[in-house]
Amino acid sequence: MHTIWSRINNISALLSSCMMGLFAAIALSSLAQQFFQAPLDPSSVSITSLKVAPGKGKQSKVDHALVQFELDANLTPLFNWNTKQLFVYLDAEYTNSKGVKNSVVIWDRIVRSKSSAKFHVEARQKYAFRDVTGFRDSAATYTLRYNLMPHVGALVYGVAGSTNNSIPFPPLAKNNV
Amino acid sequence: MSDFLQQLGEGKIDFVGQQTVDRISRVWLIGTTIISFIVGFLLQSLPLTMAIFGGSTALMAVLIIPPWPVFNQHPTKWLPVKSVEKKD
Repeated sequence: MHTIWSRINNISALLSSCMMGLFAAIALSSLAQQFFQAPLDPSSVSITSLKVAPGKGKQSKVDHALVQFELDANLTPLFNWNTKQLFVYLDAEYTNSKGVKNSVVIWDRIVRSKSSAKFHVEARQKYAFRDVTGFRDSAATYTLRYNLMPHVGALVYGVAGSTNNSIPFPPLAKNNV
Repeated sequence: MSDFLQQLGEGKIDFVGQQTVDRISRVWLIGTTIISFIVGFLLQSLPLTMAIFGGSTALMAVLIIPPWPVFNQHPTKWLPVKSVEKKD
């Protein structure tokens, strides 16, 4: 502490330890907040239209599923002081005719504020939903999941809602869409 | 000239001043960590926590790092120079 430099050195050492403690406290406190919170109201996930058709162009040998869905979600309780954003995604889980389990994300959205955490979405899938072996004799369950990304701390995954029953895929549409 | 510059660059303070600075820095930093966490948690605002923490640390740095005269009030009393007898 005799020179300016040793004072700066000393203070910055204690400062970095204090910052580490502060961030650990913030992370643990927000995890505790989530743990003791009431569970979310389940979101509603419903499929309004489902078609199976061959792909376009180079994808013509592969069956594509075309899904339109309606989501109604209220994720506002997930926003506490340590929440940076929510990554919300809709995935389809099914077992295809060859017995392979698949889980495909067909839609996602980043929610950055509490005001946009309550939403009603009527949309079609964002990403290609295809299966090389085809969608014969399969049925999929569609689940809305979220990933809470904090400013500091661990990522938390959760389920917001689901079509609890699996919805069978219709047979392949013969005419090109 | 270089002597003066060296003193300026070092910014020395006496031993009592050093003890005071040490105590102030420890109490202030730990206190500001606790206060900024509690205030931010109660008001649920992370930017508020970081603002309190950063501002308070900057204020402490201004109060402690420069060699203010208040930290030089107890200069060390050195013993008088003894003349050394040369032995042939």
